[in-house]
Amino acid sequence: MSDEGLNPTVDRRRFLTVLGVAGGGAAALSGCSTKAEKLIPYLVQSEDQVPGIPTYYASTCTECSAGCGLHVKTREGRAIKLEGNPEHPVNHGKLCARGQASLQGLYNPGRIKAPMVREGGSWKEIKWDDAIARLVAAIQKGGAPLAVLSGAPRGTFSDLLADWTATAGGSVTRWEPLDHIPMREANKLTFGRDELPAYDFASAKYILSFGADFLDTWHSPTENQLGYSRSHGFHGDAARHVHVAPRRDLTGLNADEWLAAAPGTEAAVALAMANVVAGRRSGAGAYAGMLAEWTPEAAEKASGVPAAFIRRVALEFAAQTPTLAVAGGIASQHRGAVELCQAVNVLNAVAGNIGQTVRFGADLATGDGLAGVQRLLAAMDGGQVGILLVHEANPVYALPASLKFAERLRKVAFKVSTATYMDETAAQCDLLLPSLHSLERWDDTNPRAGVFGLMQPVMEPVFPGMHTGDVLLDASRKLGGVYAKFSAPDFKTHLRTAWNARTADDAAWRAALARGGLYAEMAAAPAVTPSGSSFSAATPAFDGDGEFVFVAYPHAFLHDGRGANRPWLLENPDPVTKATWSPWIELSAATARRLDIRRGEVVRIVSPHGEITGPAFPYAGLHDGVIAAPLGSGHTEYGQFAKDRGFNPLDLLGAPDASLSFLPYASTRVRLEKTHRYQEVATTEGTPRQLGRGIAEAIPLEYARKGMTVKEALRAEGHAEHELNTEEEVTAILGWRERQVEGRKLGNYAEVHPSWGLTVDLSKCTGCSACVTACYAENNIPTVGEDQVLRGREMSWMRIERYWEGGEGDDPLEARFVPMLCQQCENAPCEPVCPVFAAYHTVDGLNGQVYNRCVGTRYCSNNCSYKVRYFNWYKYNEKAWPEPLNLQLNPDVTVRARGVMEKCTFCIQRIRTAQHNARLEDREPRDGEFTTACAQACPSEAIVFGNRRDPDSQVAQVSRDPRGYRVLEELNTRPAITYLAKVLNRVEA
Amino acid sequence: MATVAYGPNLTRTHAEITSDVVATLSPPSRGYLAALFGAVGLFLIGLITFVMLLKDGLGHAGYNPPIMWSVYITNFVFWVGIGHAGTLISAILYLFRSPWRTAVYRATEAMTVFAVMTAGLFPIIHIGRQWIFYWLLPYPNARYLWPNFKSPLIWDVFAIGTYLTVSTCFLVFGLIPDVAAVRDRATGWRRALYSQMSLGWTGSDNQWRHFSRAYLYLAALCTPLVLSVHSVVSWDFAMSLVPAWHGTIFAPYFVGGAIYSGLGMVMTLLIPLRKVLKIEHLINDYHFDNLAKLTLLTGCILFYSYSMEYFVAWYSGNTFEQTTFFRRAFGPYWWAGWTMIICNALVSQLLWFKKIRTNLTSLFVISIFINIGMWFERFVIIVSSLSNEFIPWAWDGINPTWADWGILAGSFGWFLMYFLLFARTFPIVAIQEIKEMIPMPRRKGTAGGHH
Amino acid sequence: MALKLPVPRRREVPGVLASFEHIDAACDAIRTLRKQGRRNLTVYTSHPNHEVEAAVGHTNSPVRLFTLIGGLAGCTAGFAMTIWMSRDWPLVVGGKAIGTVVPYVAIAFELTVLIGSLVTFLGMALLTFPRAVRKVAFDRRFSDDLIGVFVPASVSETDKLSDFFRRAGAVEVRNA
Repeated sequence: MSDEGLNPTVDRRRFLTVLGVAGGGAAALSGCSTKAEKLIPYLVQSEDQVPGIPTYYASTCTECSAGCGLHVKTREGRAIKLEGNPEHPVNHGKLCARGQASLQGLYNPGRIKAPMVREGGSWKEIKWDDAIARLVAAIQKGGAPLAVLSGAPRGTFSDLLADWTATAGGSVTRWEPLDHIPMREANKLTFGRDELPAYDFASAKYILSFGADFLDTWHSPTENQLGYSRSHGFHGDAARHVHVAPRRDLTGLNADEWLAAAPGTEAAVALAMANVVAGRRSGAGAYAGMLAEWTPEAAEKASGVPAAFIRRVALEFAAQTPTLAVAGGIASQHRGAVELCQAVNVLNAVAGNIGQTVRFGADLATGDGLAGVQRLLAAMDGGQVGILLVHEANPVYALPASLKFAERLRKVAFKVSTATYMDETAAQCDLLLPSLHSLERWDDTNPRAGVFGLMQPVMEPVFPGMHTGDVLLDASRKLGGVYAKFSAPDFKTHLRTAWNARTADDAAWRAALARGGLYAEMAAAPAVTPSGSSFSAATPAFDGDGEFVFVAYPHAFLHDGRGANRPWLLENPDPVTKATWSPWIELSAATARRLDIRRGEVVRIVSPHGEITGPAFPYAGLHDGVIAAPLGSGHTEYGQFAKDRGFNPLDLLGAPDASLSFLPYASTRVRLEKTHRYQEVATTEGTPRQLGRGIAEAIPLEYARKGMTVKEALRAEGHAEHELNTEEEVTAILGWRERQVEGRKLGNYAEVHPSWGLTVDLSKCTGCSACVTACYAENNIPTVGEDQVLRGREMSWMRIERYWEGGEGDDPLEARFVPMLCQQCENAPCEPVCPVFAAYHTVDGLNGQVYNRCVGTRYCSNNCSYKVRYFNWYKYNEKAWPEPLNLQLNPDVTVRARGVMEKCTFCIQRIRTAQHNARLEDREPRDGEFTTACAQACPSEAIVFGNRRDPDSQVAQVSRDPRGYRVLEELNTRPAITYLAKVLNRVEA
Repeated sequence: MATVAYGPNLTRTHAEITSDVVATLSPPSRGYLAALFGAVGLFLIGLITFVMLLKDGLGHAGYNPPIMWSVYITNFVFWVGIGHAGTLISAILYLFRSPWRTAVYRATEAMTVFAVMTAGLFPIIHIGRQWIFYWLLPYPNARYLWPNFKSPLIWDVFAIGTYLTVSTCFLVFGLIPDVAAVRDRATGWRRALYSQMSLGWTGSDNQWRHFSRAYLYLAALCTPLVLSVHSVVSWDFAMSLVPAWHGTIFAPYFVGGAIYSGLGMVMTLLIPLRKVLKIEHLINDYHFDNLAKLTLLTGCILFYSYSMEYFVAWYSGNTFEQTTFFRRAFGPYWWAGWTMIICNALVSQLLWFKKIRTNLTSLFVISIFINIGMWFERFVIIVSSLSNEFIPWAWDGINPTWADWGILAGSFGWFLMYFLLFARTFPIVAIQEIKEMIPMPRRKGTAGGHH
Repeated sequence: MALKLPVPRRREVPGVLASFEHIDAACDAIRTLRKQGRRNLTVYTSHPNHEVEAAVGHTNSPVRLFTLIGGLAGCTAGFAMTIWMSRDWPLVVGGKAIGTVVPYVAIAFELTVLIGSLVTFLGMALLTFPRAVRKVAFDRRFSDDLIGVFVPASVSETDKLSDFFRRAGAVEVRNA
């Protein structure tokens, strides 16, 4: 019974069907899964399938419009982990939490299992032929034309869809909920270019962000973060970053300075800065006149941001080159969003950043924005839509109720959805043609000029879906006539033909497939000059007359709500509030004090258009006039994890006036009502203050430049440093160690082995939590659910601790992020207390944990100074992965039974694999040839892993950095993890 | 002399002593039966709770990491502690030839055995995989992997195991002559049972000769044992790195506390029991007065230990210790912290007054305070220390659930069940030792006493 | 925990059994008998009594040897087991040396006490029961308040002994 539950309950039949086709190898797959293939007979082994050896396929992430490159790790024919594609120009081998959680989209229990038709009130499963026949019949019936609402990224499929729809006499509306329409418009106005530029954060020496959460969700977060860490992270020097926004999001917490401008007034600040900068640099050009009236004082009047601050920052900004100013996050998407982006364009222009850090000609994917949706709505209203096909979009949820999409949907005679999951929109349709997940199908995407990402089926579809491309082609065959031109037998062939232009021959195509696409060097940025005319930066109007401005911002992981059905994303604590699972309502700390509201007190937020109710979360990083809440929750459908959880902030938003081409998420005034109820917020935060325990150390930039250690810096700052041990004690401790080291030389311990170590550079770590999800994915960590998180029972081997510094008086609030994982101490307190040797020290310096041996006394966890051991209180292993989620499990890692302790062991399965492979070549593993899951995912290159015993290894070199320190060093636990102190870029007084 | 030594108001002949004690074995009263059924009921509650834990996992109990030990280990230390007074009275005071122990030691020794039996359950109940608890024993398993003798928990296994065996052995051993005495009065099943247990005891000179020596040596072995057992238990904590656990004061501090709690429980049990069994004249003020004095002494040891803990925390300048002790008094667990200080350090000071020491009602009330106080001492040491360790981010508190209380109730049921059954089945007062204190009648009528 | 009585066939021991009420009377009788050179008397008391012990004149019980041997055995076993076992499968914990003695003292100590006590108990049993097997006349009242003195004697001597006891103040004398 001791091994009870050590193996998850995998339904054997499902396992085999999934195993199904892998033998053929992905390249041999057809996108259409209706013809099931045979199991792999391992007797006759196919060259790309060796049991126990993973196969990697290159693919492209479709979780947001950035289009990062993927490496999909498959074992025995199932995808088990998503990793970044190192060759890919967008993400350079990094991958954010959302990208990795795409795997849980693939295996999501909420997926639609088969094509269905609504009969009476209920759904009826039908055959694919029947389903497509019904679509064809509807088209042949004629009547009001077909309309398509598609969220598909630019690429071959979108072209086909547009082409096909046109043939059917309809039109496609391409819509991405959190698109960057204001930036696009502003760029049109300022530079005459209707596109998004690429931003070069890496070479910027000074970064100004106006409500642009470029580390959270804005633009291309993984790419931005990598660049940001290279400039803002310490590299002998560090770029300064100032964040101006009503809310201090993750980007704001990483900024060296945050200024809470009243919502809608950021533009004024930007212009005033531009004004000052223009004073230093030539070329305000057409804007000279307009800038002249925006003196810092004028801006102060408008925004409440002190003129002195504006002037100082502007001068610092002007002093450096190149610099970068960015704007246009959802949190600052009020009616004046276009003007704000224009103002920032002007600022970049006068600072001479255009063509330097702001490079046009990159052209990220886009849609028709709200304007398109409005047109569609009007058409639906007017009954000019006979058939509505919704593809990769969930308007019923992602549009404010006040836009009445649902009501209008009812007016459409025949509604078809290709949704992969049963979402709010699909639930209201008549016919469901579940499309395939991007890991199951042939597809491509063109996120920016010169970058073509390919997707290929990496495994047999989990459910018998059909890629919409194939649906269209199949329908065409049935329709015939004008549709005859869509002659490709299946979408794969169609794609291949479309790629003929790019890949001359089959070899080239296969090469592209292997690399995950084609990545041309980015074309030299075209010379762009500001040509626009002046505009008004007056504070925009807000609906309603409430006391507060309501700011809805995209959830760091749930984004616009599409992530809400993935346990990994729900349980990964929000980087700022550390809340999991359910949404919360933020109000400024001052407001909370004034209204005597504590965390968890349920409040009702009322706008002229609706209301939401949720637990209050007082947050010091919020403008006093603002109430904020994350998007992405409050689903009424969308699977067991998302359904009926929390509220949807969009309920507060009014229908935007038709003139507006984007949805103003921050344009509603609301009032707050107490309910005198209480609902605990499931945060993972214990005590957010370090109490001077030096867990997250920091060193001022000026000292870091001189190569000082934290202690030296403290001394230089005049802080009396209190020595923990006397000389005698220190020698005694060292002497003790020598004796012990001698006494340890027995058995295997007598030989020389590597000593694995890790370093974390806190000046690079942004707290984005990609490593957390990576750890969950690699190590089969169960998600335990909100009720267990409320009891502090989350299992995150890798957790990001977020400590507050300062915040009292005029001392600004500073956030310190510390990734906390097992420190693999040499003198590990956890080991000697284990009665059964379940916790012991491996020869290569790890704190091994033998799950099978553990009886669960939990003494090790009590004695762990870092609290990085996690206990299975219940049979989490039986609840965390409802079918088919269990297929995502990594076969190299034990699934822990209830009653045992588990912990990080530096991804020991990866270490051993690397060692075995090395042994086959009769050598030691090379430095950097493998790494831990967290280090691999980290988008800011903050984590380095390797063999400390090899002095030339990167980890050894980094750990010699003067900023290096070990957490709780005074306990003499001798951790194997070295942290590099965060670098404080303080204001020179 | 002898009579004086035994207590002011005892003038009984040997024959009367025998019949007094035999009388305690006569058919039970309603009150006794009610108590017994109550105990069994409580035990069943505990049993059901344990089955639930086995079925679903420890999650039912109110553990919130980082507090990985809470109510169950609190109960464990509580019950082990209870045991100590028994051995102290029966063994240590025997070596000290302390006359007043004779009347009470049998009862306290029984209490010891049953308390340790209860305590021994908790390490099994509290572990994550209860069905493989035996992996803590050094037996040749499939892979010849032995337990980790560096772990205080293994020391615990040996200490508790030894303590249970030896104290049981000591109890049964001391019972032999008395059981023989009762045997010679009993009939039916009792006679059968007693004949077996008295091992053919006749009280011949030769038997007495070996018996007395053996008893002496057992007592001599039990004395260091009782001190060691709770020291080992204290090292479960002191050997760790946890602030407020990592202290050299722990062993004496725990032993003192253990005896204190044990004496509390002795009084809680004996004060009603002597009434139920009508042996007020055998166990009287004189004994309780002495028990109370001992309680006062150990109470003062606790008072000192508490103050010393705070002093060391302050004097060490160790920020972790300081935080922990500050929060112990003013943190989320202030109520528990003060309960322990008031019930143990302060209430025991009342025993300076003879009036209180000899007033059984007040003693009973105080003994209840002691039990509560000592339970909370363990709760505070375990929970409040674990709730604020080195990494502030990980700080959390617990909220005990039905599963915690269920097991606690069950443990009391289990303990009382055995104690009550024992009190009706075996002489709860040591016949032969009392007789030893009453001079044999002499022909020449001169009061001889023994030399 | 009830030990099984060793029950070999019992041999009847003929003799005289006297019961005394008074301790001094009993002791005088015992002394006189011993002067007469009678050794294997059996004296029953309800509790250990120094006067009787003195009269019978016992030497120290050898039971302490058992205690000593048991204790030493336990101590040795404790250290041997722990040290051998930790070297048998060497595992490093907490950066400490593998076969350390200090932490093993706890184990060795507990085993000393455990085995010491068990052997003492055993010793007492071994020393007592063989004699108990000899069926020597016994009276239930001896476990209550009477003192019994049994003298093994041939039928010829019984009358002489009975008289002696009566004169010595026995409350009851019977031949067994």
